[in-house]
Formats: sequence, structure tokens, C-alpha cells
Amino acid sequence: MGRILIVDDTMFMRTLLKNILFSGGHDIVGEAADGAEAVARYQELKPDLVTMDVVMPKMNGIEALKAIKAADPAAKVIMCTAVGQEQMVKLAVKSGAKGYIVKPFQAPKVLEEVKSVLSA
Amino acid sequence: MKSVPVKVEHEGKWVPTTMGIAEDRFRIDAPLNREIPYKSVVDLEEKKNQVLVTVGANGEGVYRIASVEKVLQILKKFVITQASAYRLNAFFMSPAIRGGVLVKNAQWEKGVIAVMKTGIWFVSQDKQVCIPLDEVTGIELTSREIQEKDLDVVKIDHLIENEVVTSFVLCPLTTLQVLYNFLKEATHDTEVSEELDPLTGQVAMLVYSGMDSSTIENMLKLSHRDLDAIYEKLLGSGLAEVLYVRKEVQLTPKGVRYISESVKSPMD
Repeated sequence: MGRILIVDDTMFMRTLLKNILFSGGHDIVGEAADGAEAVARYQELKPDLVTMDVVMPKMNGIEALKAIKAADPAAKVIMCTAVGQEQMVKLAVKSGAKGYIVKPFQAPKVLEEVKSVLSA
Repeated sequence: MKSVPVKVEHEGKWVPTTMGIAEDRFRIDAPLNREIPYKSVVDLEEKKNQVLVTVGANGEGVYRIASVEKVLQILKKFVITQASAYRLNAFFMSPAIRGGVLVKNAQWEKGVIAVMKTGIWFVSQDKQVCIPLDEVTGIELTSREIQEKDLDVVKIDHLIENEVVTSFVLCPLTTLQVLYNFLKEATHDTEVSEELDPLTGQVAMLVYSGMDSSTIENMLKLSHRDLDAIYEKLLGSGLAEVLYVRKEVQLTPKGVRYISESVKSPMD
């Protein structure tokens, strides 16, 4: 089980992910609503894993991923984006993302992906 | 024609018999005694260790055959590649996404796609995948980066045991367009025409994600009655179905007495 930081600009999505991850026995150590806040919260909380939305205000998820990886190359980040933005996968993987989930998602698969990334 | 043991449904019962599989036809021995050219087959459905073969434009013959997987695989391959169906050579990736998570090591496979009455079949050297048309939840003509190039693909979302799965088909654009139009037409009944209000949309999204009623009530700060009213909207528009009805109960005086007595210590 891991300590997880959830990053998404919509409260609805954060709450949904929180419920899914909590039901899988994970601790939600923090939330952030944009990329800049995500980077700051990561430094502060040092979570085991981050779920990172791609499209966000201020700093998008890819920029935040790069900033987090620059500060902590071992950081584990799963990118989370909407249908139709799958082309972001390559860019995210190139930038160091360990996993990728596409909205809308189903709880069991999200938990499998989180487990797989945490145990890698 | 080599014969293999199978069971066939005959007059409502499963009957052991033998089946011969040739290059252009298959034969079912007594009591059916039928020889069926693959090109006369119009539909193929599968269930665990069973296939249902429909013959004739108006479904004149329906044969339910049960056997071991290896035998059925050979039969299916011949049927899919020769049956009376819209068929095309294509690359496909199935599954590419499961439940919103990209399938690691998913690869494009070269094969044949056959669109039959009740399902789409993908067949490659070592894979046979069927997507029943009534399990299709979305069809989209879109583009996808393949080997550094943006190429047109048909994206098919479908259900496998309540899990939402995405598959992709890649072939020349003109063929893709025909496939797309064909699938749109074949799945016309499940197209969504109604607009949902934001709250009902959020409830639908939570149901999709696997949240139960109690979690949805807590997340959206809804009362039981409010959520029931939203469920009614989803049921009424055909976007949801009742999985089960759960009871909320309160104890009778007898029940209260039982609980009161059960917590008394032996000394009381």
C-alpha cells in the first residue's frame, strides 16, 4: 500500500480517485489542483506515488512531471488524461511517467495499475 | 475430411457425434447429417467451449457445437475467413486499453476482420477475438501515432464482462470509412441522443467507475431519495439497468430485545 498524492484540477475527479485509492487500502497524503501546486506538494510530502492529470491551469501535468523528476529521478508518477489525448502517452513516458490511465476509468484497473507501479 | 468428436444441440439436447472439417466446408454427422459450406455461414457466435453457427441469409439453419478449444479454433478460423460477411485485411490491437488503463505491450497484429450479423471478429495467426455488436459502447474514426506517423484508425470501445475495453483497427482510410459506417449503422440502437444534466452526468460517471450507491451519496452529498430520483432518470433513458435492489431495514422490538440481551455480560 502506498502514500499517494492526487493531482487534478477538478474536485470531482480528485474525490473519485481518492475513493478508489482509499478502497484499495492506500493513504491519500495530499491533493493538488494544478501543476505548480503538485511540484510544491511533492517536495513537502514525498509521496510513494503521484496520479497526475495532464491538462491543468498554471502548469500542465507534463511540465509538473518533468519538474518532479528533475528534483527526484526515482519519483513514481501515473499520468491521467481524457479520451482522445492518448498521443500524450509518448511524451509522458519520455518525461519519466511510470503509468498512464485514460478517463473515464474503472476502479479495479486503476488499482491494478497503481499496484504495478508501486511494486516496480 | 478428418473427423473429431463434438457435441451438437439436437431437439433441445446435447448429443455426442463427430464433425469433419475441410478447407471449404464442415460436416456434422448423425443425427444431424449436414454438410455446411463455410460461404453459406452468415453468423458466428461463441460462448465458453461452444460456437453457434448460423447458415442462410434468413438464418435457415442454426448449429450449436461444443468441443475442445483447439477444434473450435480451427472451425472458427475457416468460418471467419470464408463466411458471407464484410471482410477486410487489417491490423488490429485488441485490447489496447482496459478499464482506462493502457495495456502494456499491446501490439498491432496483422489479420482479417469479419463483420458478421452479431459481432466483429478479428483473426490473426494466433488470436481470435470477437466483439459482440450489442457489447459495443463506442465507435470513433480517429488518428493515432504509429511509428512516428499520425495514422487514421477506427477505435472501438466495448464491454468484456463489465470491463470497458478499447480496440483499434488500422487499414487504408477508404476501407476504414466503410468499416466505420458499417459499425455505426450496426450499433445505431445504442447511440446516445439525450443530454444529461451535470449532476446526473456525474452520477453516471461514478457508476461507470464502480462506485456503489452509498459512496455516491457521500461523494456528491446526496440523500437516498435524491440519488434514487437520478437513478430513475438513468433507467428511464436506458443508460443504466438495475443490478440488484438492496434493502434498508430497522429492527423490530423483538430485534432490539435480541441485541440488548446479546450485549449483557453473564454477571448482569
